[in-house]
Amino acid sequence: MSDRDVLIVGGGPAGLSAALSAAQGGLRVALVDEHTELGGQYFKRRHPAVVARHGDFRPAGTRLVTAVRQAGVDCLTGHLVWGVADDGATLLVAGPDGAPHALRARFTVLATGAHERVLPFPGWQLPGVVTAGLALHLATIDRVPVGRRVLLAGTGPFLLPVACALLEVGVRVVGVAEANHPYRLGRHAAASLRYPARLRELAGYLATLVRHRVPVWQDTYVLSASGPDRLRQVTLGGRHAGTVEADVLCVGHGFRPNVELARLLGCETRPDPVVGEPVPVADVVGRTSRPDVYVVGEAAGIAGVHAARARGQAAALDILARTGRAVPPARQRRVHARVRRLARFAALTEALFPPPLHLLDGIPDDTEVCRCEQVSAGEIRATAGLAHNGLNATKGFTRAGMGLCQGRECGTAVACLTRAANPHAPAEAFTARMPVRPVPVTALGVPPRHAAGADRGRPAGDGTPGGEVVR
Amino acid sequence: MSVHIHVDGRRVPVPEGISLAAALVGSGHWTFRRHAVSGRPRGPFCGMGVCFECELTVDGQPGVRACLAHVRDGMRVETCPPTDPDDPSGGDVLAAAPGGAGTTEEGRGV
Repeated sequence: MSDRDVLIVGGGPAGLSAALSAAQGGLRVALVDEHTELGGQYFKRRHPAVVARHGDFRPAGTRLVTAVRQAGVDCLTGHLVWGVADDGATLLVAGPDGAPHALRARFTVLATGAHERVLPFPGWQLPGVVTAGLALHLATIDRVPVGRRVLLAGTGPFLLPVACALLEVGVRVVGVAEANHPYRLGRHAAASLRYPARLRELAGYLATLVRHRVPVWQDTYVLSASGPDRLRQVTLGGRHAGTVEADVLCVGHGFRPNVELARLLGCETRPDPVVGEPVPVADVVGRTSRPDVYVVGEAAGIAGVHAARARGQAAALDILARTGRAVPPARQRRVHARVRRLARFAALTEALFPPPLHLLDGIPDDTEVCRCEQVSAGEIRATAGLAHNGLNATKGFTRAGMGLCQGRECGTAVACLTRAANPHAPAEAFTARMPVRPVPVTALGVPPRHAAGADRGRPAGDGTPGGEVVR
Repeated sequence: MSVHIHVDGRRVPVPEGISLAAALVGSGHWTFRRHAVSGRPRGPFCGMGVCFECELTVDGQPGVRACLAHVRDGMRVETCPPTDPDDPSGGDVLAAAPGGAGTTEEGRGV
């Protein structure tokens, strides 16, 4: 009767690791991902034609994806989980053709990843201003240089590998503007000595930048980007203030966990200490406040690929133990220790590279903050200051955060601007709403009955989509 | 090794297997669309399907995210589609209205 034990949402390093361990332990696993290929962002796959020209990229990802498929995991690629049914457990899914599906299993593992945070500045909506992640994908997955003269800016260790990847495809990297001052001797540097592998990685990137004479400007940030109809010039503020000619600016201020599904499933969240955005409360194995829901990987808090894989594995082992499979306690202890250790490293990184939220105080009123709905900083400030509007009231009045990206690009900024204009506004994030991503109209319908008799959904018309309820 | 796509009617050779966003950026096309309200040019931004800035019309289908699509020989790409003020959907197939109150067909907002 029951044909799925575990439903995993997200086919990145965390979801793949969870799927592999769960399937190898004898559980029936389905893995759902909105993209047509598994791998997520970190293990994003090259197209076979690109592999033929340039070889594989991150072969560990290829091995992981192959192992997951060989382990018998039902991989539902091209399936977008967009919401939660009224029963609070069934996930609503849009298939590749836009057809509605409903999925459910005994355990749900959310491995929904994260997206890059960019704090707005004047001109950030100009063509030629991109996230560091976009530039990295172009350089590594497509082997296409994003521009000729490229400036990187923002904060985070992520900017360094991106700069190196750009150099590898022939880009002239004019500089890396780091808003913080992490690369120096001090308490944090001493603490980082406990993570020699990570430190070696970082030293490797810095050595490459030195070899190519790429300056790293610390305590330096973007004031504005300008150009007629695409980027020409970037104005920097801070220690290395000045103007830089560039045809592309890659910018990133860390990452934001994708927590919408966890919130829609009613998992308890806590505000993250730096930005105040909700992060699901989860223990070392990813168990949330809901006994049947786990959250792993970057969705559980930004910690990097190694932590993501360990967390995915920890969740799978916990589910195996809970469903009566023999899991050697030593193995579980080892994985838990790894998760904890990598969490400490993540905390160290977070302390070194806090998002420079104070820069938002200085952006001019005419800065376009919500890119989709074209809402300016001034409109947000005025609205938030009026009648003590909180974040969601400000959103309602201005439409900031109501566009196609659903506030993913402007969310941090709108929240910070609101709190700055209205000190009484509570620390909150945009309400999680369905659909969590735009979906075709057809996906909102009631899923058709499953032809093969596998349908265990309720009949159409009772408000809960039926269809392939996997159970 | 190379395939040809048609960008606003112009034949452009691009490496096989790369993303449409990479193909356009690599051939110097940065304006993917114009903002519906301001008409200002917009290009790709997030590169992972989140921001929807790189939407364009591919083989007649609007709303295709160039960062998630791969080039195909003979693919017809239209950037900056003319906006028809009489078409309330803007020719868009998306149902989204995301984030607004009661967004789905049953007003199933949270």
